[in-house]
Amino acid sequence: MQHLLSMILFLPLLVAFTMGIFRVSIETLRMVTFGSSLMVLLFAVVVTSYFNVEGGMQFVHNSSWISHYGINYSIGLDAISLLLLLLIALLMPLIFLAIWEEQRKGYFYNLLLLQAGISGVIMAQDLILFYLFWESMLLPIFIMIGSYGYGMRHFNAMKIIIMTVFGSMSMLLAIIYLGYTHYTTVGFWSFELSNLAQLAFDSKTSILLAGAFLLAFAIKIPLFGFHTWMAPAYSSSPTAIVVVLSAIMAKLGVYGLYRFGFTLFEIPLGFYTPYVILLCLIGIVFYSIHAIMQRDLKRIFAFSSGAHLSLITLGLFMTNIYAWSGGLYLLATHAIASAGIFLMIGMLGRRTQNIQIAHLGGIASIAPRFAFFFAFFALAITGVPGTGGFVAELLIIVGAFKYHFWVGVVAAMTMLGAILFIFWTLQRTLFGTTQEVTKHFGDLSAIEIGILTPLVIILLITGIFPSLLLDFFDASLSTNLEAFQGGVK
Amino acid sequence: MEALLSLIVILPFLSATILGISYLIDSKKNLSNTYYATIALTTPAIVTLLSFVLAFEISTMPHDTPLYAHLFDWIKVGQFHIEMRFMLDRLSMIMVGLVSFVGTLIHIYAVGYMQDDEGFGKFFAYFNFFLGSMLLLVVASNPIIMFIGWELVGLASYLLIGFYHKVSSNITAANKAFIVNRVGDFGFIIALSVLFIALEGKGFDFEAIKEGIEGLSSSTLSFVGALLFVGAMGKSAQIPLYVWLPDAMAGPTPVSALIHAATMVTAGVYMVARFGFLYNEIPHIGEFIAYIGAFSALMAALMASFERDIKKILAYSTMSQLGYMFIAVGLGAYGAGIFHLFTHAFFKALLFMGAGAVIIALHHEQDIFKMGNLRTFLPKTFITMLIATLAITSIPPFAGFFSKEAIINHAFLTQHYTLWIIAITTAFLTAYYMFRLIFVVFFAHSTKTYPHLIPLGKMIIYPLIVLAIGSATVGFLGIGHGFAHFVALPDRATPAPTHLLEYGLMAFNPLIAVGGIALAYRLFGTNPKPSKANIPIKALFIHKFYVDALYDRLFVSTLRSLSLFFDRVVDAKIIDGFLGLLTGGYRHLGVKLVSLQNGTVKTYATYIIFSVSLMSIALIYILEAQ
Amino acid sequence: MLSPDAFLFVAVVIFAIGLIGLMLRRSLFVVYLSIELMLSSVNLILATFSRVHGEMGGGVVSLLMIAVIAAEAAIFLALIIYIYRITKSVDSQSITQLTHKRDEA
Repeated sequence: MQHLLSMILFLPLLVAFTMGIFRVSIETLRMVTFGSSLMVLLFAVVVTSYFNVEGGMQFVHNSSWISHYGINYSIGLDAISLLLLLLIALLMPLIFLAIWEEQRKGYFYNLLLLQAGISGVIMAQDLILFYLFWESMLLPIFIMIGSYGYGMRHFNAMKIIIMTVFGSMSMLLAIIYLGYTHYTTVGFWSFELSNLAQLAFDSKTSILLAGAFLLAFAIKIPLFGFHTWMAPAYSSSPTAIVVVLSAIMAKLGVYGLYRFGFTLFEIPLGFYTPYVILLCLIGIVFYSIHAIMQRDLKRIFAFSSGAHLSLITLGLFMTNIYAWSGGLYLLATHAIASAGIFLMIGMLGRRTQNIQIAHLGGIASIAPRFAFFFAFFALAITGVPGTGGFVAELLIIVGAFKYHFWVGVVAAMTMLGAILFIFWTLQRTLFGTTQEVTKHFGDLSAIEIGILTPLVIILLITGIFPSLLLDFFDASLSTNLEAFQGGVK
Repeated sequence: MEALLSLIVILPFLSATILGISYLIDSKKNLSNTYYATIALTTPAIVTLLSFVLAFEISTMPHDTPLYAHLFDWIKVGQFHIEMRFMLDRLSMIMVGLVSFVGTLIHIYAVGYMQDDEGFGKFFAYFNFFLGSMLLLVVASNPIIMFIGWELVGLASYLLIGFYHKVSSNITAANKAFIVNRVGDFGFIIALSVLFIALEGKGFDFEAIKEGIEGLSSSTLSFVGALLFVGAMGKSAQIPLYVWLPDAMAGPTPVSALIHAATMVTAGVYMVARFGFLYNEIPHIGEFIAYIGAFSALMAALMASFERDIKKILAYSTMSQLGYMFIAVGLGAYGAGIFHLFTHAFFKALLFMGAGAVIIALHHEQDIFKMGNLRTFLPKTFITMLIATLAITSIPPFAGFFSKEAIINHAFLTQHYTLWIIAITTAFLTAYYMFRLIFVVFFAHSTKTYPHLIPLGKMIIYPLIVLAIGSATVGFLGIGHGFAHFVALPDRATPAPTHLLEYGLMAFNPLIAVGGIALAYRLFGTNPKPSKANIPIKALFIHKFYVDALYDRLFVSTLRSLSLFFDRVVDAKIIDGFLGLLTGGYRHLGVKLVSLQNGTVKTYATYIIFSVSLMSIALIYILEAQ
Repeated sequence: MLSPDAFLFVAVVIFAIGLIGLMLRRSLFVVYLSIELMLSSVNLILATFSRVHGEMGGGVVSLLMIAVIAAEAAIFLALIIYIYRITKSVDSQSITQLTHKRDEA
């Protein structure tokens, strides 16, 4: 049992290296990668079944790695990390199915590495280990955008890597400083999260350190002002990468804030709270308006992701139980909905070789199934009741009103924000008369429906029976929230 | 009983799912229309039966003990505890009965109307989905669940307005409807959140709210009440959020009858009545609602008087009648408002369905000035529509007389004379524009013939007849305030009129209506001409007060240019420009250094030799130093 | 017995000739010859010091290096022929693939 997490973590790596050494054929490669991703999903389900919702950090495994500097291979899960782990474990098989026809082997290797990196970020309890996975997660994305992307792919790949690495460098400095302080005050090196959380700093230092962490996560999320890598990277990425970028990677910024930011710096983050909330509120409005005149489907939904991530971050920083639950809920449901929409944009791109809105139209009349699924995911993003997004937005809005009236009003604007561009997008993509590129648009195949249906079902269940999931992480959240509020006092 | 109540909501959703999946799977169109129609019609029929059973049950119980059905806990986070629980009191019972009964008739009509459409199955999936959402809205036991229904009916309305999706302007109309509704919902959700935070910990059912608001300040309540009404403005097409309703006529006619006349648009009135206990605390907001309603009624009537499209005339008329309902509920006469809602559903659905019958018979012609003399060709349609028109113009003994009279008299008796004058003027205009429609469509050009008239099926005619009977008779329920007493809403007290005054008012209203009919006959009885925009005030009415253009200029263009500004200036110039400054120095250095790498082997060899020499010298120095 | 300085002097002269040849001449063959010259001078130095210190290790290494140089000659000449086939030239200035300017595509 105790090695289950390590198996989830290393299985993709192992598969990638074995396949690489034996230089297997593309057919074997896709079978084995798909099989391994199913295996990971199975492990994740087993982990969930043994998981105790009241139990805090579980499946903890800790062994010494670089003992001289106290760096440990230390992993564990609580309810929130488990949620993310389940998301990535669920999405990977679907992504592998979606790229089944792909002939370039690099896709599979990079995705395997990416999965390992993401799982590592989710599990790591040691800051150096976390940093390692945090950076290694970027590499496959860089390679994929650079080699298999579209448009100005080289430039955009450089842009995403330079901006995010700039942020994580500042975080690395802060991590090393934390470890060093532990060495000077306690007497031995340690980068273990629970140890570092015990350290005390004077207020100026801690504000600087918190700022360094915040910068890394703000770029990753991205908050308003740190976002210019987002739209170019999304539009240049191959489908599989966009799905991971929007569904998981961006959420890891929020997760990092929650796991490391709030555990290490509950008080100094209070210093930043008004600014972050301001950025989030600007982001909600700014991204929604920005998306209106975009001409490329991927860019439109990139901005929609940005707006929702601002909302999630807002929920996190308001630190009351409604906003936290809502933020977390949105994290899960938006991951599913945006994975769905980006998978579909990929399917659309494969059929038309063109995702410029001006060239689309009329799909609903010749491909009703495609239109149904596409509209469903788009509506799920706008937070229509019956899908999980509605529950999440409702909770965040209620939490925002509890925090402050005007914050609540702007947060409620998300209800308007998404529809401003999504309905116009739907109109120009699905409805109207067919054009040159959509004239012979084929409807969804059985496999494609098989990929999308689980996502639809999850969105419906989370929308109709939100208690199922909310109860699952309620205990973890309440405990952390109490600890956090205790820390502030 | 509980199970029956749950079934009322669940069944339509279930059948919508079945129909939708069948439609999506059946890509080769093997399934017949009969298959879809059977499923689609069974559901509302069963729901109607169930609602009658429940109505019988409810009316035997005292009015303050509603029937509850608890399904499951929807959300439980902190104090935010929302149950999926349905409540059937007399108000929601009236609504359930109305929605399911009129809904069933319109479903039957739609089977006839949509017979040749290739999206037959899809249409009924949407229709059943709408029915379920509407029922969810009316039986919800707390405002959050109500809000879910509220949003879902908006979604259904979007899907159905844009049903003919090959024409892009229809989708524009659908988008407009959804977006304007969401603007209203924005107010609604703010109101609910503020109310919840103010009541935190006291529960959020209607009953709990009723008890909880006693401790709240009047300013909070006014704020909540006003913003709740913003939601109602959107849904019920009142000033200034009415712009979507005329455009919504782009949908198939059964949709207009069911959603944009009989049920969904009245949700705002229902909501205000449901929150009656709250509005009783803040009568000034109530008056505000009444004035908005009155001005909407008048404005809509003016626009209807100059409209040429048969469906749009009826759409404005709906907006106008909704204005009456808001006058009633705003002044605290909830029973009267709901009664008008009840009667209006019958005659307005009938008018729309009659209009649909005419449109179908004339190969989708909607301009009334291209019709005429139809009473000889479509006698059944003519008679049923005439009954409905008499009802809406409040000619006794038809239904509208009782309900509208109650509202107008209420305004007079509570000494809101401005409202009363507006209401009377609107009543005059109503009679004018409705009979203008009747005269132009059915009487004028008495020699006109229609060689290619499409015969109307039984499925279309029978629902018309049933509704005509309803329009003629349901008004009697209101005699002696019987309906209002039965619904048992918390009406604010009104001064009792003297008998003389009562009879005087009662006679006055029909007289006004007859005046309107006379004017319509004089202008349009024999040789009608469409009105031209020859004087500015007429142009204002014909162009709908230029509100569409104003909104377009104010919001749509602004947002679009703002979006471009964000893209080209904020992102490209400011943020990336700033980052460019940071990376710029680095880049310049790179450009300088790059000239060292010229690709020739000799240069590289030179570099190597120099560096090795330097290293050797350094080594010697270090060794000598030791 | 000559003084080791004489041997070292010769070695330095040969090395300098090789160095100058490497830096100034353009023909790949001459460049190659210059490199070989430099290697030989290093060999000579090794052998000299081996003798001076009375140890055979340096001599053995220099023999080993001669073997390596022979192998290297084979590869180097093959490479020159290969380059000639592609570029039709043995001018080292004409081979500029390593420059920054090509990689624009």
